[in-house]
Amino acid sequence: MADKYVGKRVKRTEDPRLIKGLAHYVDDIGLPGTLHVAFVRSMYAHARITGIDTSEALKVPGVVAVYTGKDIATKIGPVPCAAALPDLKVPDYRVLATDKVLFVGHPIAAVVATDKYAARDAAEILYPGVELEELPAVVSIIDGVPTTPVIHEHFGDNIAYKLTSGEGDIEAAMKAADRIVKQKMIHQRLAPIAMEPRGVLARYFPGEEELTVWSSTQIPHLLRTQLALMIGIPENKLRVITPEVGGGFGSKLNVYAEEALLGWISMQLGKPVKWIESRRENVAATIHGRAQVGTVEVGIKNDGTITGLRYNVVADLGAYHQLLTPAIPTLTGLMLSGAYKIPAIQMNVTGVFTNKMSTDAYRGAGRPEATYVVERVMDVIARELNLDPIEVRRKNFPKADEFPFHTATGLDYDSGDYEAALKKALDLSGYQKLREEQKKARDNGKLIGIGLSSYVEICALGPSQAMPAGGWESATVRIEPTGKVTVLTGASPHGQGQETSFAQIAADEVGVDLNDVTVIHGDTGIVQYGIGTFGSRATAVGGTAVLIAIHKLKEKAAKIAAHMMQCDASRLSFEAGCYSKQEAAAAAVTGKSEPVVPVGEGPAGALHEVPTPTNGRNKITIQEIALAAHIAKELPPDTEPGLSATYFFEPKNFTFPFGTHICVVEIDKDTGETKIIKYVAVDDCGKVINPLLVDGQVHGGIVQSIGQALYEEVVYDEQGQLVTGELMDYALPRASQMPWFDTDRTETPSPVNPLGVKGVGEAGTIGATPAIVNAVVDALSPYGVKHLDMPVRPEAVWRIIRAPEG
Amino acid sequence: MKISGTHEIQASRERVYAALIDPQILQRCIPGCESLEETSEHVYIATMKAGIGPVKGTFKGNVHLNDMQPPEHYRMTVEGKGGPGFVKGTGNFNLAETDSSTVVHYEGDMQVGGVIASVGQRMIEAAAKMLAAQFFKALESEIKS
Repeated sequence: MADKYVGKRVKRTEDPRLIKGLAHYVDDIGLPGTLHVAFVRSMYAHARITGIDTSEALKVPGVVAVYTGKDIATKIGPVPCAAALPDLKVPDYRVLATDKVLFVGHPIAAVVATDKYAARDAAEILYPGVELEELPAVVSIIDGVPTTPVIHEHFGDNIAYKLTSGEGDIEAAMKAADRIVKQKMIHQRLAPIAMEPRGVLARYFPGEEELTVWSSTQIPHLLRTQLALMIGIPENKLRVITPEVGGGFGSKLNVYAEEALLGWISMQLGKPVKWIESRRENVAATIHGRAQVGTVEVGIKNDGTITGLRYNVVADLGAYHQLLTPAIPTLTGLMLSGAYKIPAIQMNVTGVFTNKMSTDAYRGAGRPEATYVVERVMDVIARELNLDPIEVRRKNFPKADEFPFHTATGLDYDSGDYEAALKKALDLSGYQKLREEQKKARDNGKLIGIGLSSYVEICALGPSQAMPAGGWESATVRIEPTGKVTVLTGASPHGQGQETSFAQIAADEVGVDLNDVTVIHGDTGIVQYGIGTFGSRATAVGGTAVLIAIHKLKEKAAKIAAHMMQCDASRLSFEAGCYSKQEAAAAAVTGKSEPVVPVGEGPAGALHEVPTPTNGRNKITIQEIALAAHIAKELPPDTEPGLSATYFFEPKNFTFPFGTHICVVEIDKDTGETKIIKYVAVDDCGKVINPLLVDGQVHGGIVQSIGQALYEEVVYDEQGQLVTGELMDYALPRASQMPWFDTDRTETPSPVNPLGVKGVGEAGTIGATPAIVNAVVDALSPYGVKHLDMPVRPEAVWRIIRAPEG
Repeated sequence: MKISGTHEIQASRERVYAALIDPQILQRCIPGCESLEETSEHVYIATMKAGIGPVKGTFKGNVHLNDMQPPEHYRMTVEGKGGPGFVKGTGNFNLAETDSSTVVHYEGDMQVGGVIASVGQRMIEAAAKMLAAQFFKALESEIKS
C-alpha cells in the first residue's frame, strides 16, 4: 500500500456538515404526521404501584394514547442483558414498570400526543394519578452489600452475582511478600453525558408490515436483532437507521426500553412516533458508569517487586441489568495486572442491586477502575518504600522482548515497550527538573504535585470467544461503474471520524483520491450485518475488514485487468490505482514504489473514457476495470460481473495499547482548588491511521478523566433521590478548566491485525485519572496524605490544608 | 432536610395563632396558593403553584394540623405532589409572646423528590426561607387590616 493518506493528518471529512449545522441527528428527521411521546417517570427510588389513573391525561387536547406497564406487560419482551456469568440473577426488566418502580426515572407510562408539548403536559398531569406506596431504598455500597430491603424479593437478597477471577497462588504470593500494602478506593458513579441525548423515531408501514427505527445508537445491527425479538417482528422487516450520533461513550451501546416501546407504539397506531430525551431524563435514565468500591492488597518485596495483588470489590449495578451491566466489573478483573509482571492476581467481585439507574459501559468500561487501582497503588507502594514512583514501575515492567506477555489475569498482551513510552513522557515533561521545581515551590510554601500513570488497556474488542454477541466486524467495498469507491462498514462511528480514517485506508489501498471514497455506516437496510463501535474496536477490527475486503476485490480486479491487457495476472503490478503490464524481468521486482498520483488526478478520466479497446495497452486503472466489470462485455470466463467484496474479520486476540501520562498540579491553599498546570500524554496505540483523530481521542478522554478525578459524581441522597439531575449540579468539566495537553506517541505495531493498529478511543479515560489523583496526593504529601477519593473536591483538599497540625 | 426560621409579628399571640389556622387567611397568605379547603377539622386539601429556580408546577396535597395547643404550639404535616415532584414534611410551630409582639419559631423536616430534588435541592432551603418570609409578611398585613 502506498501511504498517500494513511498516517497523515487528514482533516475530518465529517466536520464541515457538523460545524455548519447541516448534519442530521434523529431529531432533525421529520416525517409527516409524527406523533410525540413523553414518559411519566418515577420520582421515587423504590415504591409499589397501587394504581394508575390516566383519565386526566387523556383529556389533554392532542393526546392520542396513554400506555402503562400493565397494558403492555405481555406484549413487549424484557430489556435484554447479553452478559453471561455463572449463577447471574437477571431481573425481569419490563419496558414500563408494572408492580414496582425501582429507581428515580423508571418509566411508568408513555403518553402519545400530536405535539411534544401536549405530550409533556399530559405526562405532568398524569403523574399525580399514579398511586405509589413508598418503600425504603437501597442506595449506598460504601459499607458493603446492602441487605435490606431486598429490591427483587424473589431473589432473596441484593446480590446479583459473585465472581472470583485470576491466576496464580494468591495466598502463597502474599506469604512470599516482605509486606502488604492495602488501600480502599472509591470509583464514583459517573454519567456519560453525550452531547446529544438519546432519541428515537419509529415508523411502521402497516401495508408493507415494515418498521423503521431511527435511533441514536452505537450498535444498529445488534439493536435490530434485539428489538425484533422484543417486539416480535421478523428481523428482515425491521430496519434500524443510525443517523448522526452526537457522542455515545458507551451509553448508546445498549438496548433501551424506549427504543422498543417507540417501535411497538408506531405499530399500534400506524403512525410515526418520536421521542427525544431531555437532559434530565438523560442523567436519570441513561446508563451510568463506574460505581465500584473496593480494597486492593498488594504483596511487595522491600525492593518494590510485586508478588501478588488481590482486589475485593463491590460493584453497584443499579436496579436492573442493561445490555452489559454485570460484565463491566469482569473487565476490571482482566486488567488488574496493569503494565506489570504480577505472578498472582485475584479479584473477588460482588455485583449488587441498588435503587438506582443501571451502570454499564462508560468510556473505558471497567478498565479505568483497574488502571486506577493499579496505578494509584503503585504510588502507595512507592510511598511505603520511600522510592520514586518511577522506580517502582520500572522494577515491575515486562521488557520489550518478553511479548507476547501472559498475565495472571489470563490475557496475552500482544506487543509493548512500556519503558520507551515512560522514558519519552519523562523527557517530554522534563521530569527531573519538575521534581527540582517542586522542591523549590514547597520551600516557598506552594503546593505542587507530580503524578504519573503507566497504563495498559485492552482494546479492539475482540475475539468472538470473549464477546457476548460476536467480536468480528464486517466491510463491503465496491467500486461503482463511475469509479467511485463505496465502503460499507458494520462499525457505527459516532464521533470517532471513521468516515475519514476508513476512507484513508481505502483510498490508499485502492489507489484513488480520498474524495472518491464514501464510507457508509449505520443503516441496517444498506449495510451488511455488523457489530458496532465500542471498546476501541472500530479501526482495529472494522478497519481491518475494510482492508481485507479490498484485497479480495483486487484479486478479482487483477484477473479482469490481465484479461483486458491480454497477459498473465502474474505479470501485472499494481501501484497508485493502476495495473501495469510488466516485462518478465521487471515483474520480479515487486513492491517497488512509484510516484503516487497527485490529489484530484486520475479518477476523473474513468468517467469519460470507455475502457475499450484495451488491446495493446500497458496500463489500466482499477476504476476503468470497475466500469468494465459492470458493462460485462470483456470479462474473463467464469467471472461474475460487478466489482464488490465483503469480508468479516475475526481477530485472534485483543490489542493492548499503553502509554505514560504525567500530570502536574498546583493547589490553591486558600480555596483548595486543584489546577492542572502541565499535562503530558505519551500513548502507544500501534500504527496510526490519522494522527489528528488520535489526538482528538486522547484529548477527549483526558477531559473526561479530569472530570472523574476532580469534578463529576452522580449523587443519590439517602432516599435514593437523584440530586445531580442536570448540568447545573452534575459537574461536567468546562473548557476553561482544561490545561494544554502535550501529546506524543511511541509506535509499537500490533501483530493481531495487518494494519498494526491497536485502538485509542478509551486511552484517555483509562490512563489519565490516576495520573491526576496521584499528582494531587503528591502535592498534599507534606500533610501526610496517602490517598484521596474521587472526585477530589476543593472542599476536601481545603479541609486537609486547614486541619490543625499533628 | 431540616428547615427552621423565626418571624416576629406585631400582634398578640392569640391573634396570630388564630390567623395561622384560618383556612381563608392562609389561602390568601401562602404564596401561590390557589385553593385551601377544609375537609374535616384541621385537615385541608390544598392546590398550590410553586417553583424553585427552573422547576415550576402545580402541587396538590394534604395539610394536617395536630397537637394543637393554642396559642402556643401546633404541628403541621404536609404531603403534596405535582408534575415537578413531591414534598413531604412535618413541622412544629411554636409561638412566644414578647411585650408587643409574637415570635413564631418553626422547625421541620422535609423530604423532596423528583425533579425538584434532582435540580433544585441545593436551592430549596433558600427558596423555602423566601416563601416563609413572604408568607409571614402577608400574614402580618392580614392581621393588621
